[in-house]
Amino acid sequence: MKKSHIIAIIIIAVAIGAILSTVADSSTYASFKMALENPGKEYHVVGKLEKDSALVYNPQVNANLFTFYIKDNEGTIKKVLYHGTKPQDFERSEQIVLIGKMKEEGNFQASSILMKCPSKYNDGKPELQEYKAQS
Amino acid sequence: MDIKYVGEHLWAGNTGNFFVVLSFCGALLSSLSYFIFSRNEVQNASWKSLGRTGYFIHASGVLGIIGTLFCMLLNHMFEFHYVWQHSNTEMPMRYILSCFWEGQEGSFLLWTFWHVVLGIILIFTSRKWEGPVMTIVALVQIFLASMLLGVYVFGYKIGSNPFLLLRTVPDFANLPFIQNANYLAKLDGRGLNPLLQNYWMTIHPPTLFLGFASTLVPFAYAIAGLWKKDFNGWMKPALPWTFFGVMILGTGILMGGAWAYEALSFGGFWAWDPVENASLVPWLTFVGSAHVMVIHRNKGQSLLVTFALTIITFILILYSTFLTRSGILGDTSVHAFTDLGMSGQLLIYLLTFLILAIVLLVINWKHFPKPETEESVWSREFWMFVGAMVLAVSAFQIIFTTSIPVINKIFDSKIAPPTNPIQHYNSFQVWVAVIVAMLIAVGQYFKFKKTDMNAFLKSISVSFIVAIILTATIAFLIDLLSVQQIPYIILLFASVFAVCANAGYFIAVLKGKVKLSGASVAHVGFGMILLGALISMSKSEVISRNTSGVDLQKLGDDFENAENIMLVKNDTLSMGGYFVTYNGKKKEGVNIFYEIDYFKKSTDGKYVKDFTLYPRVQINPRMGNVAEPDTKHYLEKDIYTHVTYAELDEEKEKKPEEYKKAKTVTLAPGDTIFGSNSIIIFEGLDKNVDKVKYNLHENDIAVAARIRVVDVKNNSFTALPVYSIQSVYAVPFEDEISELGLKFIISKLIPESGKVELEVYEKNANFREFIILKAIVFPGINILWTGCLIMIIGTVLAIRHRLKQSN
Repeated sequence: MKKSHIIAIIIIAVAIGAILSTVADSSTYASFKMALENPGKEYHVVGKLEKDSALVYNPQVNANLFTFYIKDNEGTIKKVLYHGTKPQDFERSEQIVLIGKMKEEGNFQASSILMKCPSKYNDGKPELQEYKAQS
Repeated sequence: MDIKYVGEHLWAGNTGNFFVVLSFCGALLSSLSYFIFSRNEVQNASWKSLGRTGYFIHASGVLGIIGTLFCMLLNHMFEFHYVWQHSNTEMPMRYILSCFWEGQEGSFLLWTFWHVVLGIILIFTSRKWEGPVMTIVALVQIFLASMLLGVYVFGYKIGSNPFLLLRTVPDFANLPFIQNANYLAKLDGRGLNPLLQNYWMTIHPPTLFLGFASTLVPFAYAIAGLWKKDFNGWMKPALPWTFFGVMILGTGILMGGAWAYEALSFGGFWAWDPVENASLVPWLTFVGSAHVMVIHRNKGQSLLVTFALTIITFILILYSTFLTRSGILGDTSVHAFTDLGMSGQLLIYLLTFLILAIVLLVINWKHFPKPETEESVWSREFWMFVGAMVLAVSAFQIIFTTSIPVINKIFDSKIAPPTNPIQHYNSFQVWVAVIVAMLIAVGQYFKFKKTDMNAFLKSISVSFIVAIILTATIAFLIDLLSVQQIPYIILLFASVFAVCANAGYFIAVLKGKVKLSGASVAHVGFGMILLGALISMSKSEVISRNTSGVDLQKLGDDFENAENIMLVKNDTLSMGGYFVTYNGKKKEGVNIFYEIDYFKKSTDGKYVKDFTLYPRVQINPRMGNVAEPDTKHYLEKDIYTHVTYAELDEEKEKKPEEYKKAKTVTLAPGDTIFGSNSIIIFEGLDKNVDKVKYNLHENDIAVAARIRVVDVKNNSFTALPVYSIQSVYAVPFEDEISELGLKFIISKLIPESGKVELEVYEKNANFREFIILKAIVFPGINILWTGCLIMIIGTVLAIRHRLKQSN
C-alpha cells in the first residue's frame, strides 16, 4: 500500500471522528415539555419573555441570580434561573434562546441566554447579544 | 401629490449610482476582454489593452463609489438610508471609517476595494499570467460589483444599493415624515453601533478584508494554471502572495481577538464564535496550501492537494461570507450580519467558482505529471505534507460544527450547536495543536528528499532537552501538574519544543542568517501563540468570587460558581490578593466611567494603591447600553475588570432620612426575605398585645407580628407591628427599627393560614450606590501578542526571500 493511501485513510478516519464528536456534543432545539421529560439533559429552548410575570434581580442579595419567566413556542411557561447578572436591555428582548437544563423542581436552569432585540433598536432587523453564565 | 422635498442632495445619489453601474460594466468588459485575449494571446493581442482599460474603468467606478459614500457620511446626508442607518451628528468623526463598513454594502465595498488594488498590482507584475489571472479576478469583481446594484430582474433583487433614499425604503413607505417636505431639517441618523466605536474597529476590518482579498490571487493563479495546463509554473508567482495572505489574514483574525479582548465583555480573546471560526478556517487551509506549495516547488509531488487547498481556501472565504451575511447564523452567533436578501446571490457566487474549479480539476487531473518515486518517510516534504493534512482536518472539524445551522436548513433538522462550544472545539483542537507544534519543531531538521537519521537526532537533541526542562519549569510555576491537565501539559511541551527547536535551528543551523530565517522565525512566533493561548486560557482565574457576609446558600442553589461580586461605593473587598474599592462614577459624554482602585497590602500592613481602572458603560438609548471592560496590563499577566451590572437611572434628589416606597410581601411564619442591609424573618403571630399601650378597648382584637431582623454584622433586632380591629375598623400600628432604617406595617391578616401581608419600608440611606463587577486575571497573554509580532516578522522575511527567488 502506498503511503499516500495510508494518509488518506487516516484523514478520512479522523474526519469521521470529528463528525461523530460533533453529533455527540450537539444539543437539540426543544420545548420545555421535552426538557421536563429529560431533567438534567441540556437543551436549547426558544421562547419569549413573559413580561407580566416577575423579573427578579436583586444584586444586593445575590449578584449572581436572575430569575424570569419564559413562554416557549408551544406555550408552556416556566420559571428560569440564570446564574449571572441581568443582561442589559433584557426587557426589550423579542425572542430568547435559553441553553440549559430542567431542574427537578420544574425550574429551567439556563447556563447561557441569547437575546434577540427588536428592530427599532437595531439594524432594521433583529440582532443578537449573548450572555453566558459562569461555568 | 408630488412633494417637493427641501434640501436633498439628489446629485450625490445619482453620482453614486453612476459609479455603481460604471464599476459593474468595467468588470464585465475587463473579464470578457481578458478571456478573449487569453484564448489566443497572439491573435487577440489587442484585447489585452481592452481588458486593462475595462479594469481601470472598474477601478475608477469603485473609487468613485467609495468617494461618494464618504462625502455623504462626512456631510451628514441623512436623506440616504445608509448614512441615516450608520451615522449621526453626535458621533465622533474619527469613527467615520467604522460607519463606512458597519453595513453589508460598505463591507462589500471594502472587500471590492482590496481586490481592485491587488488586481492593479497583478496587471503590472503577473507578466505572461496576466490574461488568465485577470480574467478570473475581473470575473470575481463582476459578482462583487453586482452586490451593490440594487436592481430588480424578473422580480429578484440583485444587490443592495448604498445610495438608496431613506424615503424610498419600502419599510418606511407609510411613515409620516414622508409627507413633510422639509423632513431633513429635523432628521438625525441612527448612529453607529456603540460596540464599533472603538479603535480596533477602524483597523480590524480593513486588515481582515485584505486577508480575504489576498486569497483571490493564489486562487486566480491556480485556475489559470489549470486552464493553461501549466500545472507547476503558477506556483512560483503565487507563493509570495500566499505567504502575504497568510500573514495579513492571520493578523486580521488576531486583531479581531484583540478587539473582543479589549472591548467586548466575552472575557477572553477567542470564544469559538461562528463568525470567528468562519475566518479562522480559510486561514488554516491557506497555511496548508502555502506549505504544500513549498514542497511542490522543491519536489514535484502532491500536485492535486496543492490545487485543492488553494482552491478550497478561496471557496471557504466565499462560504464564510455566506455564513456571516445570509442571516443563517442568526440563532448561534453574537455578531453575524443580518440578512439583506442577498443569500441567493451569495450562493450563486459561491457555486459558480466551486463548480468552475471542480470541472477544471476533473478535466485536468489525468494530465497531472505522475511522480516516479514516493517521498521518503524521513524527508521534510513528507512531514510538511502530513502537517498540511492535519490543518485541513482541523479546518474540517471547525467548519462542520459551525455549519450546523446550514445542515438544519438543508435537512430541515433541529440540531442545536454544542451547549459548551469552547470545550467541544478545544477537546479536538488541542490534539491538532499538539501534532502541528511537534511537526513545526522537527520539520526543518528533516532534509528534503532523504534525511540522515543520526544527524537528525543529534541536531535536535539539544532543543529537545531544553524544551523538557523549560516545560517542567513552566508547568511547576503556573501549577499545571494535575492528571486532568495532561492534554494541556502535552500541548505545553509541544509548543515549547516548537519554539526551542526553531530558535535552535536559527542559531545552530542557519548560523543567524536573517535572510533565510523566515520559516524559523515565523514558527517561533506560532509556537508562542499556542503557548500564550494555552497559558492564558487554561490558567485564567476569576478573582471576583462572592465574599460578602450574607449567606447565599439559603436561596438553595449552587452558588459556589458565583463570578460576579457586589461592590458598594466606598467599601473595600478582598479579591484575589487585591483589595478593591469602588470610588464612584463620572459621566463623560455618552460614557459613564466607574473608578475602581486596586490596593495591595504591604508587609507592614498598610494598604498601598496599586492601580486604578475605569471600566465604563456606554449609554445608547437607541441600540442598547454597552459595557466595556478596562484592563491593567502587566508583563506577565493582565487584570481584566468589567462592570456587569449597575443602576443606570439618574439618581434623583433623594433625602436619606425619608422612607422609600414600601415593598409588600405575604409571609407565612418562618419565611425569610432580604432587605438591602439585612435578613428579615417573620417568626409568627403574637396575641399578647399590650392593649393599653395602643389605646385599645378591652373588646378590640389585636395581633402583633414578631419580626426578627439580622444585619450583616449578625446583630439581631425585633420589631412588633400590630394589627387591630376596633369594632369594625382595621387599624394597623407600625413598628420601626431605627438602627437599620426599617419600618413594618401589617396591611392584611390571613387568619386561615396564619399569614400576614406586610409592608416593608426602607430609608433611602439604606440604598447605597453599588456596582456588580467581574474581574479575571489572564496570565501570559503577552506571550501570545509577542508571538503574533514574531510570526509577522518571520512571514515578511519569507516573502522577501521568495520574491528574490522568483525574480
